[in-house]
Amino acid sequence: MFSIFKEHKGFGKQIMLLAVNDLKKTYKGAAIGPLWAVIKPAFTLFVYWFAFSVGLKSAGDISWAGQEFPRFVFMLVGFIPWFFITDSITLGAKSIRMNQQYVTKVSFPVSTIMTFTALARLFVHLFLSVIMYVILLCYGYMPSVYNLQFFLYCPLMYMFFVMLTWSTAPMAAFSKDFENMIVSIMSGIFWLTGVIYNSYDLGIPWLEKAMLLNPINFFVNGYRNAFIYNTWFFENKLELIIFLAEFVLVFALGIFNYNRLRKRLPDVL
Amino acid sequence: MSEPIIVFDNVTKEYTLYKNDQERFRALFFKNKKAKINKALSGVSFALDKGEAVGVIGDNGAGKSTLLKLITGVAFPTEGSVTVKGKVAALLELTAGFSMQMTGRENIYLKGYILGLTDKEIKRLEERIVEFAELGDYIDQPVRTYSSGMKMRLGFAINVNIEPDVLVIDEALSVGDATFKKKCKQKIADTIKSGVTVLYVSHNAESVRELCTRALYMKKGTLVFDGPTDEALRIYQDDKAKKTKK
Repeated sequence: MFSIFKEHKGFGKQIMLLAVNDLKKTYKGAAIGPLWAVIKPAFTLFVYWFAFSVGLKSAGDISWAGQEFPRFVFMLVGFIPWFFITDSITLGAKSIRMNQQYVTKVSFPVSTIMTFTALARLFVHLFLSVIMYVILLCYGYMPSVYNLQFFLYCPLMYMFFVMLTWSTAPMAAFSKDFENMIVSIMSGIFWLTGVIYNSYDLGIPWLEKAMLLNPINFFVNGYRNAFIYNTWFFENKLELIIFLAEFVLVFALGIFNYNRLRKRLPDVL
Repeated sequence: MSEPIIVFDNVTKEYTLYKNDQERFRALFFKNKKAKINKALSGVSFALDKGEAVGVIGDNGAGKSTLLKLITGVAFPTEGSVTVKGKVAALLELTAGFSMQMTGRENIYLKGYILGLTDKEIKRLEERIVEFAELGDYIDQPVRTYSSGMKMRLGFAINVNIEPDVLVIDEALSVGDATFKKKCKQKIADTIKSGVTVLYVSHNAESVRELCTRALYMKKGTLVFDGPTDEALRIYQDDKAKKTKK
């Protein structure tokens, strides 16, 4: 039942090493190497900002919780968790197949593959978060006690999406179709998530409630709670309860799927 | 008689063969009763005692590789149970499980952790491994910069020096130039003498006779004979002779 925890025992240092190694693999061979970790998301953010602030002029600033936020600031704080989430879902799903030498050649704690893959993305995320914080300071958003919620949302986000890959990675390793399905779905999920618009404020009450079912919204809104809304995570009780239920569900499904498929993996890869 | 270190209890290993990718995708969600099943091992039972050197003989497709995979813990049995006590080192695919971006030294640690060693234990073995691999300054370079011979040398050095309890050897093993090969042969012989349990897979009757006192003869996924090497080889060769007559 708890084979995943057993596999992690005593492997902590190694997970660190493998995560760093994963980063090296991603960014080696390019002249400005690690800078791409910043350039790529910065460019994405610029393109969307351009489309929505310059192109579609009607999409102006955001007003929420009695405050006005520039569209750029609003999008920036939403995009930072989004970049981590999309990477950890797609790369996480591919992780076992990408590291298949560990599955088919040696006796390896397979579940740690998902842990170190996501950890590599987390390093990038922490780096981007610092940049975001500096930009926010420049915009005049002063440090506040609400910012500390980052240390709640960030680890929770990491855990949630690692647990999700307990299901998706073995399934994607089993069937390439499943992997393609996830990658295709993710590009659509972006538009169903309140990254560039405010999922709290759609003007249609039932739809605003339905948006709470998307766990990505929990984190996108959570980062905004912490950095610009100055709101506590427990203030929207319904959102918190829905998320916690999903957290438990993803955990249980993850354990179930991992244990179901783990022993069949070396035979199919 | 000491207590057995490897126990196979009525082990069956089946591989499911999917006709196509659609079927594979379906198998994720539904039980598939139509899928073809290939029995690689059926009802294999044996026990190896500590310090025994045992040969495994048989034709291609007899289940030798599957047997080794079960012992090294890469694959899992469909039915029955496999018990292996202690660390297993395998001289099969020597470069297996290397991380190309990591240095040789980091890979020593990686392999050590996978085998369940602690930092302290690896540190103790590190110098011996580095020395044996004869890589010089390359030990602190990423493995991707190694030649294939260097990779194999490192792989061999790690596996024999990590003080395994069980050593699995495939005869079809090539480790670079003649001098190093000789060194490896010597090391394997020393290891066997030191009381490590050895499983030796080979087509070559002479080398099995030389190294092992006991042999397992596999045929089409079943264990046909388990006993003294000479007898196992005789039965194997008789079988082969019969086949050619037909």
